[in-house]
Amino acid sequence: MAIFIAKRFGLALITLWILSMIVFFAGQVLPGDPGRAILGPLAAQSAVSHLDDQLGVNQPLLTQYWHWVSGFVHGDMGTSYQFQAPVEPFISHAIRHSLELAAVAFVIVVPLSILGGVVAALNVGKAPDRIITVLGLSASTVPEFVSGIVVIIVFGIWLNVLPISAAWGPGASFPDQLYHLILPSIPLVLVLFGYIARMARAGTVEALDSDYARTAILKGLPRGVVIRRHVLRNSLVPTVTVIATQTGYLIGGLVVIETLFNYQGIGNLIFKAAQDRDFPMLEAGVLTIGIVYMVATLIADFVYSMLNPRIRFGEAE
Amino acid sequence: MDENQRRLDSIRRGSSELENSFIDEFASGRLSRREFVRRGAVVGLSMPLMTAIIAACGGANNSGGSSPASSGGGTGSGTPGADLKVGIVTPTAAINPVTVADQGGLDMLGQCGEYLAISNSSLQLVPVLAEKWTANADSTVWTFTIRQGVKFHNGQAMTADDVVYTYKLQTDPKGSSNALSAFGGALTPSGVQKVDDFTVAFHLEAPNGNFPYLCSSDNYNMIIIPNNYDPSKWESTFLGTGPFKLKSYTPKVGASFIRNEAYWGKKALPATTEFTFYDTQQPEILALQGGTIDVIGQFSVDGGQSLLSGSSATVINLKSSAHRELSMRCDQAPFNDPRVRQAIALTLNRPEIVQGLFLGKADVGNDSPFAPVFPSTDTSVPQRAQDIAKAKSLLSAAGHGSGFSTKLFTENFLEIPKLAQIVKQAAAQVGVQIALTIETSSQYYGKAVFGQSDWLDGAMSLVDFGHRSVPNVFLTAPLQSKGTWNAAHFKNAQYDTLSKQYIAAPATDVQGQKTIAGKIENLLLEQTPIIYPYFYNYLTATASGVTGVEPTAIGHLFLFNASKA
Repeated sequence: MAIFIAKRFGLALITLWILSMIVFFAGQVLPGDPGRAILGPLAAQSAVSHLDDQLGVNQPLLTQYWHWVSGFVHGDMGTSYQFQAPVEPFISHAIRHSLELAAVAFVIVVPLSILGGVVAALNVGKAPDRIITVLGLSASTVPEFVSGIVVIIVFGIWLNVLPISAAWGPGASFPDQLYHLILPSIPLVLVLFGYIARMARAGTVEALDSDYARTAILKGLPRGVVIRRHVLRNSLVPTVTVIATQTGYLIGGLVVIETLFNYQGIGNLIFKAAQDRDFPMLEAGVLTIGIVYMVATLIADFVYSMLNPRIRFGEAE
Repeated sequence: MDENQRRLDSIRRGSSELENSFIDEFASGRLSRREFVRRGAVVGLSMPLMTAIIAACGGANNSGGSSPASSGGGTGSGTPGADLKVGIVTPTAAINPVTVADQGGLDMLGQCGEYLAISNSSLQLVPVLAEKWTANADSTVWTFTIRQGVKFHNGQAMTADDVVYTYKLQTDPKGSSNALSAFGGALTPSGVQKVDDFTVAFHLEAPNGNFPYLCSSDNYNMIIIPNNYDPSKWESTFLGTGPFKLKSYTPKVGASFIRNEAYWGKKALPATTEFTFYDTQQPEILALQGGTIDVIGQFSVDGGQSLLSGSSATVINLKSSAHRELSMRCDQAPFNDPRVRQAIALTLNRPEIVQGLFLGKADVGNDSPFAPVFPSTDTSVPQRAQDIAKAKSLLSAAGHGSGFSTKLFTENFLEIPKLAQIVKQAAAQVGVQIALTIETSSQYYGKAVFGQSDWLDGAMSLVDFGHRSVPNVFLTAPLQSKGTWNAAHFKNAQYDTLSKQYIAAPATDVQGQKTIAGKIENLLLEQTPIIYPYFYNYLTATASGVTGVEPTAIGHLFLFNASKA
């Protein structure tokens, strides 16, 4: 177990280090310079050069990279070029927001789609199966900005029952925060439902077809017990992997949703940082998403091994 | 001699020669009252004196009227105590008075900071932290009297030392001030001199009849900050003298302000204002329609049609000088022949463009930076209209009867890509094939110096310019032979002389400015280094029941007179 954790942890560190280099050096290809991004296109060149000197972006690339990496490992994420302030509060504020939105979306979509998948599998070829499959697939093909605008107009403007903006005011209570996150969660649920339900359906169909399920049924176990104890446990294995791989999307890939609902998540933060050549912000944001993704994958591995005891840790890699 | 004449003579006896000639212009009816007040403010005539002159002239030339002055905070008659919720575009960088260069940032500066003067929605200068100002005979030295009894939010009294510090800081050529380009050729730190505790003199590099505009909200970085205050720390305090004080500011999220009860002027009407930042316009519009916010600082027609067509919001529609410039390289074939440049300009159907892109919320341009909103614009100069036959004949005369191919560089910003498409299709009517290169803003502007910028180096280049209350910047950087933004590479000695004459002309010399403007307009029509298709309006939206919101076309949103039903 300890070796397994150490190996995974080591691999994660190497991955993050490679990720940091890719982001840093790929970012240099972007045109323009940070001083110009701050002062605007019409500012005097002397003012831009002076600001670039102050920001340290005229130093050699390797020096800049070394400064940043050495600061990062000592807990200093750096100073934003654009906001001339430490990056850390921006990242922690944004990642907290993103995690909250992802959590709300997960809490809604995971039980819903597993339930949908199992119901479809238990009714293969029948009307419920067709309805769930077709609706799920259709919903996942609707872009978030379309479903987002539709839910805003319906629930925010026509019915006026849910807040349009996901940004809650200062001092909002936890239930109030959840209330603000319902509307932006709906497009995410629509995108993910079809995918997760399909995986759950496939896993359940396969499990229902297996020898152990047939044996359980033949030995007279009630249908509910068979599904709960024997089928679900095995059918959820691939589903868990799918859910884990969606973490990256749910944390860092929601630029459209965050923009539409004016929500200050990390997706939008790094998108703007890339536009403005704010490298410290971009690097810290991408690495934070990377860390969250690694942790989610690690958790998925554990859940996977718990659901399927035949898989030993050594083989799980 | 009647009573009015006696009062006028009495005022004249106490006025300078320059002021007397200005009073004569008004008395003779050549100036409207609005224009008299606007130009009088530029040369530093006080409002009571101008009121006395207007009364002495029997309230003559009452056309137009002027909007209420905005100095000294609240003057409105709405209900006090509102908690206003406002949506504006997200500030893209730190709120540092020296480096702010974006609309969200300047909006934040204007909530707590104050300028020596405000250029209001009528382009009229209203004294704020300066009580008055005067110029010497050739407009090379401007002396400002600083208002007494003004305190910063920390209780510290504001004096000439704060003004001198602010202006030296912002004009320092070794610094990173965004205002450097506006002050270029006009003011350096050595020209900023304290006369006494409440008087500051600005010694200019060259005559400038409109210099007070550079000290106004028009030059949005120029809020007065305390002597020796580190501008990079401003974001944590918003330390100014204005009618609102900072309650909280969270970058990328929003800000809230409370009324400054110790304000030197009349107190603001709202008790609090809460700003939410938006990266794009659509969620902002939906938030207004859903009642989440009361005001949208600015919106564009493209995407904002629902606000213009619906009855759910009130739209404040300000005419402005914001525009697009389509430059053509005058130093390279085929655009080195003015006839070719004229031909391209003649292919555009401007009224149709204004209707299509702005639903009519824009003025048609006449290929000079003299927008209809500028009072000095000579409107007797004939408007250029679409004339395909003439365009073809000009091209034939220039040896391009069968057309030619060229490239147009521009940025992916607001309606500009659509305008580029329109230009391409229009030019195709006369056989000119234009290949479009639409880039991100940073790609397009590049290093913003010649040789390293598609904006400045492209054969054709389409760029955006924001609003200014006077055309000085538009006349210099993009058009003068040594202009730093001269993307057209236009070099014309006659133009250089005329533009310098215009800038040096005293603001009171209305006819003089208009005469020079007319000459420049005709010269630019003949030369056409740049096509100015339109000047678009500045649009602000408020929820119904919200009154007293005062935007400026440069991007400020003044809320001290605002109230909510």
